Amino acid sequence: MLRVFLHLSLMAFTLLSSQVRADTAEVQISQAFVNVHTGPASGYPVFQVIERGEWVTVLKRRTNWFKVMLGNKQQGWITQADLNQTKNITGEKTQIKEGSLANFAERDIELAIFAGTFDSVNGLSFAGSWVWTENIATELSYTQALGDFSKNELLMLRIQHSMFPEWRLSPYLSLGAGLVRTTPKASLVQSGDEVRNSDALELGLGARYYLNRNFIIRLEYKNLLVITDRDEQQELNQWNLGFAVFF
Amino acid sequence: MEPWFRSFLLGLLLVTPSAFSQQTSSTRATPPMVIEPKVERRDINEADIDTEDFEIGVFFGSISIEDFSNSSLTGLRLTYHLTESVFTEASYGVAEGGQTSYEILSGGAPFLTDEEREYSYYDLSLGYRFSGETFITQNWVFNSDFYLQAGAGNTEFGGDDRMTVTIGAGYRLLLTDWLVLRFDGKDQIFDSEIIGPKKTTHNLAFSLGLSVFF
Repeated sequence: MLRVFLHLSLMAFTLLSSQVRADTAEVQISQAFVNVHTGPASGYPVFQVIERGEWVTVLKRRTNWFKVMLGNKQQGWITQADLNQTKNITGEKTQIKEGSLANFAERDIELAIFAGTFDSVNGLSFAGSWVWTENIATELSYTQALGDFSKNELLMLRIQHSMFPEWRLSPYLSLGAGLVRTTPKASLVQSGDEVRNSDALELGLGARYYLNRNFIIRLEYKNLLVITDRDEQQELNQWNLGFAVFF
Repeated sequence: MEPWFRSFLLGLLLVTPSAFSQQTSSTRATPPMVIEPKVERRDINEADIDTEDFEIGVFFGSISIEDFSNSSLTGLRLTYHLTESVFTEASYGVAEGGQTSYEILSGGAPFLTDEEREYSYYDLSLGYRFSGETFITQNWVFNSDFYLQAGAGNTEFGGDDRMTVTIGAGYRLLLTDWLVLRFDGKDQIFDSEIIGPKKTTHNLAFSLGLSVFF
């Protein structure tokens, strides 16, 4: 375990050292003044003011804050709203794009976390999707639902079709297939090890709601058909409410 | 029409196009450039600005597993900052459950096997930060913040997985722009029936960690 941590921290540090970039942008303040904060949040105090006409170098971004270097080599943070008021070297207004509804329609990757019910048992899901075209996406999800008697794990791969990708509230249909793994609770079933693996098919209906920047809220319903070794097939219902980030 | 008026109109007709043509020719002829501007076009390209919304870190601490004494805790976490005050976090931790007082005092058969004593959890949480400054001395100051977190996840202990709700609070000291020292306190709440009837257990974990922005 410790070795894994060491490796990861080493990776993080190498990532950091490689992130020193040569590309920086210089912008000119066109407002009467701009407040410079000591940190990337409005709670951090203002320690400097830059006046109209001064040039600053934009170093990096954290959420809606931008780290800038002033003429006297001091560094501080300004808001995105203030940066959008500045002018670039050609005298044009600087425009830092913020995620928009248009970006939402053009997203490539989406990562989501869901909380929900899986046939009256609480479940947690993670999903990652790759958006091929405006309408079609492939999604891989993992669900863990812990009941009183058993633990269910689902690994599903699905194709989603968004009918109206440009709408803020965008409905979608999904069709998926995957595996369900059921492990009985060790405290109840002493013999243990009666793990059942079954195939499952899924039909889903859901909707995405574009919140702002790169955030989405998702609500979905899925009907699962679990193909068991026993004679009868099992039908399960899953409801999920989740939060997603897109890139 | 009066003859003077007719000649006036005629004059106007003659003058107007020439006036127009003069105007257009004057706009067309721009004065020659003295210095050619050699400005390299450098638009702000969002992709060129390094965005540091993720934070990855390790933590070490102590967890008090209800009925199973105190144990050391080691973990890893990944944070994504959504806004200046809201963040989501995934964390994973491992510990080893100790012995119950009954096991220690009676000297009898242990409740759990060594494998079942392994305690591991993951949780996903949403947090809210309150930013400020911390003055170590009068002139030595660090940016810091206090935060509250709530989330859900899974704990594996006693051979079973348990749906877990976590609530927590913490304190971050931003040592530099990218290096963060964190102190966290978390309550991991789950139902357990290991030592008798099913009950809700509270497992308090305290940890000290270091994380970096990337």
